Amino acid sequence: MATLLNADVRKQIEDAFAPMKEYVHIMFFGQKENCEYCADAQQLLEEVVEISEKISMTIYDLDDDADIAKNYNVDKAPGIVIAAKDGDVISDFGVRFAGIPSGHEFTSLIQDIILVSGRDSHLSDDTRDFLKALTEPVLLQVFVTPT
Amino acid sequence: MVQAEMVGAMEFQELSMKHNVSGVPQTTINDGAANVVGAVPESNMLAELKRITAK
Repeated sequence: MATLLNADVRKQIEDAFAPMKEYVHIMFFGQKENCEYCADAQQLLEEVVEISEKISMTIYDLDDDADIAKNYNVDKAPGIVIAAKDGDVISDFGVRFAGIPSGHEFTSLIQDIILVSGRDSHLSDDTRDFLKALTEPVLLQVFVTPT
Repeated sequence: MVQAEMVGAMEFQELSMKHNVSGVPQTTINDGAANVVGAVPESNMLAELKRITAK
């Protein structure tokens, strides 16, 4: 199969990933039916994961692995969880992608991986204090288009 | 406690329509409790979160 990332892009990502300190684990959820972009999204992520030994990935199916999907609050395919990995421990920071991360979203994917690897949200103290005090879950859905 | 999901508006059109997405990025908080259009500064997003959680 032809690669989705050309050598130039791969090199750019390699450079962007070079300072990564901590490990990142990606959970990919596909679906066998009615998922136009699942195969491409999975291939794209596999190519990204290959670039750095700091990144690992497990592949799931939204239907066959419904329990895991529910556990991680994933209800769309392709669904992507970008989590932290320390030893065998996966820590979920709540970072998700729904849909294929192409175009501008591809940059966001790479930045999210680097952000999770840094283990720092870069949020202000004000925001952190507010979020720490939350008693009810908050879901932020950021609608984006590839262009 | 916080989940942030990037949603491809073209791929999930039903959801986009439900939340009246007309410009991107649009951040929909808690299934429509608030909608923030544009890439706003962190302080604006925080103010919006404070507003809806204070209810």
